[in-house]
Amino acid sequence: MRGQVVVFLLYFGVVFGIGWLSLKRTKSEEDYWIAGGNLGWLLGGTTIAATHTSAGSFMGTIGVMYSAGWSFGWLILSIPLAYWFMAAVLAPRFIRVKELTLPGFVESRYYSKRTRALAAAIILLATVVYIQAQIVAGGLIASTVFGIPTTIGMVGFTLILLVYTAIGGMLAVVYTDFLQIVIMVIGVLFALPLAVRHVGGWGDLFQYVQAVNPATFTFEAFPPVLLFTMGLAFLLGSVSSPAQLIRLYAMKDMRAVRRGILLAILLITGVNLMIFLLSLVSVVLFPALPTGDLAMPMIARTVLPAFLGGIMLAAITSAMMSTVDSLLIVAGSALSQDIYQTLIDPEMSEGKRVVVDRIGVMLVGTVPVLLILSGVGEGELIQFIVLLFTALMASSFFVPVVAGVYWKRATREGAAAAMIGGVGAALLWELFGSETVDPVLPGLVASAVLMLVVSLASPPPPPEAVEPYFPDR
Amino acid sequence: MPGFAFWGLFVVFGLIVVLYALWMWWAERRDEE
Repeated sequence: MRGQVVVFLLYFGVVFGIGWLSLKRTKSEEDYWIAGGNLGWLLGGTTIAATHTSAGSFMGTIGVMYSAGWSFGWLILSIPLAYWFMAAVLAPRFIRVKELTLPGFVESRYYSKRTRALAAAIILLATVVYIQAQIVAGGLIASTVFGIPTTIGMVGFTLILLVYTAIGGMLAVVYTDFLQIVIMVIGVLFALPLAVRHVGGWGDLFQYVQAVNPATFTFEAFPPVLLFTMGLAFLLGSVSSPAQLIRLYAMKDMRAVRRGILLAILLITGVNLMIFLLSLVSVVLFPALPTGDLAMPMIARTVLPAFLGGIMLAAITSAMMSTVDSLLIVAGSALSQDIYQTLIDPEMSEGKRVVVDRIGVMLVGTVPVLLILSGVGEGELIQFIVLLFTALMASSFFVPVVAGVYWKRATREGAAAAMIGGVGAALLWELFGSETVDPVLPGLVASAVLMLVVSLASPPPPPEAVEPYFPDR
Repeated sequence: MPGFAFWGLFVVFGLIVVLYALWMWWAERRDEE
């Protein structure tokens, strides 16, 4: 127990130090929102990987692995495909005009402040729900590690996150992401061999798992059609994530983007594959957990020696924090940059802007905690919210972003209709549609059809909005 | 011992990474020209 507390105190100390140093280095809004737009492949790649890997990977996966079997793991292959699409198809055109936020891109390409505010509102609403899910995970970890009530853990985690994110901005997020992905890799690298040895080696592990569920290592456990549509949802969601798209702006050039994304693919998929293997161990060791979300903390406490257990718990915490800090940046910028400074007070001085930016981040961090404390949104499975978030982001932003850089005729009316229709269709499907089809598919179809029809029915975009994205034609 | 549904995942991932690296090498050469 004491070893674990020491690891955590060290970890928090370093994170605060990074926040403080980043505050000193943040001189402009560009520094605050996109880390100066000058990141190389190492920091760019690690920040993409850390942001992608959330508490859902460390805590939600096990429950699915337990019921659905190993074939669920094949979904992870959508990650390299998604990021290749981002590096090869999207990035070369998307970064021709550097903006600070995704709604900023919407305004620059779709020549409309209102469409920008619409994009920001969608991001804000969806992200607050997602942050909430991650904070609940943080509370669970805190109650496991320190034996404190979950509520106090949630408030504590949020405070720590808010302090370094609000003062240090994207620079603090990028540097802490580097530290956090390193901790995650160390955590799973050390935990896996020890956990496997605990159940008697690989041979015994496979035998036990197959005895529990003979279909585990076959494709029968999970219908290939569902696997395909969920894979597509993961793929589109990763490509359309506002947090990842602004990381393209944060990197200095295409060379950094391509190399950074290769690093991110290796880290995300590598960590996930090792978590899948750890899930198998936990199926054997803890077959009767009340919730699968507890399996990884249980491995950390019972299988690993105190110090390594502390690192593993720090890894889970890192996964949660590195995702939430990026979302705080995305939601905070949507509130202060894209809504307040664009619509309400556009004439603000640079000095005042940086203050308003920080207030925005503080607000979007505080609201989810207040929602949880007032009893809204409790009891839902973490992975469920993660999946719905992905579907909402994909349904609203995939079409406007891709059409924006590949179709000159795409108009602001088309983009607005695509965003509203995409979100609406995905939500309706989630509530009333068939469970075998992920809501991202109807969302995407609605979004694409609306973009096409409404764009063609509205006046063509002004040349000055389109030309920066299509310079060679 | 588990079959292709298990270890195939690792093999296919390895192949994708090799393909990505080849594409990256090609793209960087194209940029230089």
